[in-house]
This record gives sequence, C-alpha cells and structure tokens, in this order.
Amino acid sequence: MTSAVAAVSVRDLHRTFAIGKGLRKTGPKVTALDGVDLAIPAGEVHGLLGPNGAGKTTLCKVLSTVLLPTSGTAEIMGHDVTRETAAVRPLIGIVFGGERGLYSRLSARQNLAFWAALYGLDKRRARARSDELIDRVGLTDQAAQPVEGFSRGMKQRLHLARGLIGDPKVLLLDEPTTGMDPVAARDFRTLVGELRSEGRTVLLTTHDMAEAEAVCDRVSLIDNGRLLATERPATLGTWISRFERIDARDVPQALLNEVAAMQGVAATNVGEAGSVRIETTESGAAAAVLQRLVSGGVTSVATSLPSLEEVYLHVIGDRGMTVQR
Amino acid sequence: MRTFAAAFGFQLTTMRRSIGDFQPLITAPFFTVIFLAITEHAGRTDLAPYAVLAPTLIALWGMALNVAGELIDSERWSGTLEALIATPSSFASIITGRIAAVTTISLLAFVESWLVAWAVFGITVPIEHPLEFGTTLAATAFAMAGTASMMSAVFVLARSARIFQNSLSYPFYVLGGVLVPVALLPGWLEPLSRVVFLSWSADLMRDSLTVGSVPAAALRLLAILGLGMLGQLTGVLLLRRVLVRVRTLGTLTYA
Repeated sequence: MTSAVAAVSVRDLHRTFAIGKGLRKTGPKVTALDGVDLAIPAGEVHGLLGPNGAGKTTLCKVLSTVLLPTSGTAEIMGHDVTRETAAVRPLIGIVFGGERGLYSRLSARQNLAFWAALYGLDKRRARARSDELIDRVGLTDQAAQPVEGFSRGMKQRLHLARGLIGDPKVLLLDEPTTGMDPVAARDFRTLVGELRSEGRTVLLTTHDMAEAEAVCDRVSLIDNGRLLATERPATLGTWISRFERIDARDVPQALLNEVAAMQGVAATNVGEAGSVRIETTESGAAAAVLQRLVSGGVTSVATSLPSLEEVYLHVIGDRGMTVQR
Repeated sequence: MRTFAAAFGFQLTTMRRSIGDFQPLITAPFFTVIFLAITEHAGRTDLAPYAVLAPTLIALWGMALNVAGELIDSERWSGTLEALIATPSSFASIITGRIAAVTTISLLAFVESWLVAWAVFGITVPIEHPLEFGTTLAATAFAMAGTASMMSAVFVLARSARIFQNSLSYPFYVLGGVLVPVALLPGWLEPLSRVVFLSWSADLMRDSLTVGSVPAAALRLLAILGLGMLGQLTGVLLLRRVLVRVRTLGTLTYA
C-alpha cells in the first residue's frame, strides 16, 4: 500500500464521444469522463462503483490503452497510457465483462496459450502458466473443451485467467462477476484477496455493493463521468453518517410530527404495525432524534448505519434504471 | 518473430475448427473441372496449365479476401480486438502472422487442381521451370499477404465490408489475368492490370509451367515482390492509422 509512484494515477481526465455515422462522427458529443482524478497506490484493491453509463468502462479502457482520452493524463506505474503504451501494456491485465472476448471454437487451454504467447511466454512456460491459471479459476475439467459450450460464468472465469496470463502488476476488472453464480462469485472474492496478497493492484468496476464492500480496500463512486467520492467502504458508510436512520415503534403522532420538524430530519416513513423509519441528512441529527424519542417515552428504538448500497443511492440519487447522458 | 509464429500457429488451429474458411479450397477443384472441360472441349490441350493455374490464383485471392481480409473485423465483432491491442505484442505482427498462415494454406489449391487434372482428365501438367515456379508462388503468397493486410485495415473502417469484398473478387480475376492473360485484354486495361501483382504472378507462373524459356523472370519476380512490399508497407501504415483512429473515436468494439 505504500509506494512512491501510484500504480494508477489519473489527473483531470476527460473523454467525450461524438455520436453519428461515418468516419468523422460529427454528431453531438457525449461526455463519458468529466475531469476524473484518481490515485491508486500499489497493492490496493480499488472499487469503482456506479450505474450504467457512469464512465466506469470508459476509464478502464483508457487505462488499458485501447481508448485515447480527450484530455488529461492517466498513468500506470508512472507510464503515460497514451504516449508510453509499450511500457504500460506488459504491466496490465484486463478483463472486460460479458460473454464476448474469447475464441469460442477453441478450448480454454488453446485460448490461454495464444494469449500467453502474446505476452511473450515461450511454449513451455505458456503451457505451464495456462494450466496453473485454469486450475486456479476452477476450469481444469473443462480445459480441453471448446469455449462455445461454456456457461456465462465459466466464460467469466476464463476471462479472469486471461487477464492474469501476463502476470500483470495492475489488473483492470470490468464487472468481472457478471453472470457468475454465488459460489463462483465467492471464489472470485477469494481470488481477489490472493491477488492483493501477491502485491497486485486491482481496479474493479462493479454494480454489486456487497462485492465492493467485501473485496475493496477503497471505493470510488462515479456518476456522469465524475468521481463523487473515494473512501474505504466502512469509512464511506461512516462518512455519510448524516444519512443514519432510526427505526422505532409506537411513536405517538404528536411526537412524530415534532421529530419530523427537527433540524436534519429528511423523512419519517411509517410502516406496518406501528413501525417508523426516520431518515436523517445531517451529521448529529440522528443523536438528537434518538434523544427526543427516548425522552418522549419511546422504548423500541434502534439506529443503524447505511449500507454501501444506500450510500450509493443517496449520493447518486435514486433514479432506478435511468441512464443519464 | 515469436508473435508472428504464435499468430501463424493460432490461425492454423482456428481454421481447423472453421470449415467455412476453406471454401475457396473446396471450390477450387470444381473450377478446375469447369476450366479444363472448356479447354478440352475446344481441343486446346496447350491451355491446360492455364486451367490448372486459374483456380489456384482464385483460391489464393479468395482466401485472402474472405478470411485474411476479415481478420480484424471478426476480432472486433468477437470482442477480442481490445484485449489483443492491449497486449505487449505488435498488432501488425499478429495480423501479419495470421494472414501468412491463411495465404500458405491457400497454396494447397495448386495441388488440388493439379490432382484433379490428372485424376479426372488424365492430364499431367508438368512444371517445366520448377525454380521459377516455386519462387513465383512464394513471391505471390508474400504479395497476397500484403494486399490482405491492406484490405484487413480498410475493412475495419467499413461497416459493409462484404460489399467491398464482393466487388473485389471477379473484377480482380480479370485485371489479374487469372484465366485470360492480360495481353489478350483490351489495350487500355493493361496499365491498370500491371499495378495488380496478380497479373505478373499469373503470367510468370504460366510461363514457368510451359515449355520454352521464361523471359525476364528475375525482373518480373521483382515486380511481384515490389508490389507485394508496397502492399505490406501500405498495410502496416494503414493499420497504424486505423488503430489510432478507432482508439480516438472509441470504435474498437463495433464496426
């Protein structure tokens, strides 16, 4: 976690896309990254959390040298991803999510052998490395089978193996658990833990809050191409303690009205059987509400910190499936 | 060189599982039968080498156009192009290695045609000048690979690659003098034909299959190699430009 040069360093990164047909694409521009600043120290597992269209994949693509930024800089281990691609590429491994990205008519072993060769491994080492990774991602029994017969989860495991084939210092994982069953997803988390202990840096994009909480050292929230916050998962919850909520039962209506009018109280949501959840929006508001409820004779009362998912929804806004552009 | 060799081997492995890629090799024997049937019916046994050679060149061009030309585009559609570009290997070496494998395989069409002539028509086409023939075949494969890499880069930019492919087949068989020597075409076509390496290849190969001397063989071989080199260089430069363009536009994953 301590290194003079950040494993990933991004400064004021912008990327816009022109919409339209033809080679020149002169249509209106869409902003995918809007002044992103991010520094990830070596050895950190960093989560990038955001809704569809937030800019997660675009950032991964810029870092993996396959997409040029419109402006700003991005570096891997001190090497600029735009100007020093030859130095950057041996350092990174990429895993883009989804079913595509593999040679479906070839076996898992043949796929990995080819990628190994492209990372400069000779035949003997390529074979050994492929077998090691196939074993590591749990595909030993399917190693000789064509990939086209693989389930989505199996393909995703093979993607992971491919990302590791070049023994990368920095691993860019773009929604790597998409399509994995819960057991595979748990194994993946274990694998990420191993990668961390090997000293690799991992940038992981995900929609899955539990995953981010479970495997990441720090998490950045991204939306509309802007980084909203970067914190440790637990700190993020604490940082946003102003969104602490109080669950109570049998609160008299007069007292509830009084609480609703208190400074920092955002909402009082009455549920079934006399339950009520009081949402706060300011640090310290929860304590004041709690004190008032207790002094008002309410005995069934509890406070809780929001989960990362709630943080995510609070910060990004509860806009459901809407993709903002 | 390791990348080139790995890409060459990878292409052979991929094609083993993709029978459709061999379509030009599957049709070559049929072309041989058709052409030989015509020349035999006309009583022109002297044209047998022409009839055997034409399917070879058609297969060479066809595979370069359909398999090699589509390499980058198919990588793009299968979602592997980004990962390929992100590897430390030179993308040009990967593509050149794979195209070389396709071109090498397509040379089998000559063996097929020769065997069909012998088995179906009882015609043995002698290779009168094996050295000239062999070197011309190798030079042609090299030039074809250069043309294919050029096409491969162009097809990345084209959403309707198949339209280009269709228009690049039969017109080039004519311009390349694949069956009918360029000298027999209208005079105004000749300058155009001479910038197509295939026309030099076809003439030189025909000469090396027939009795008599092969005039200016070295010079004609140089013409093939020169045009091939031009194609290779153009292909590499085009590839470089195309990669910058798609990385700039963000269109690596779709055409």
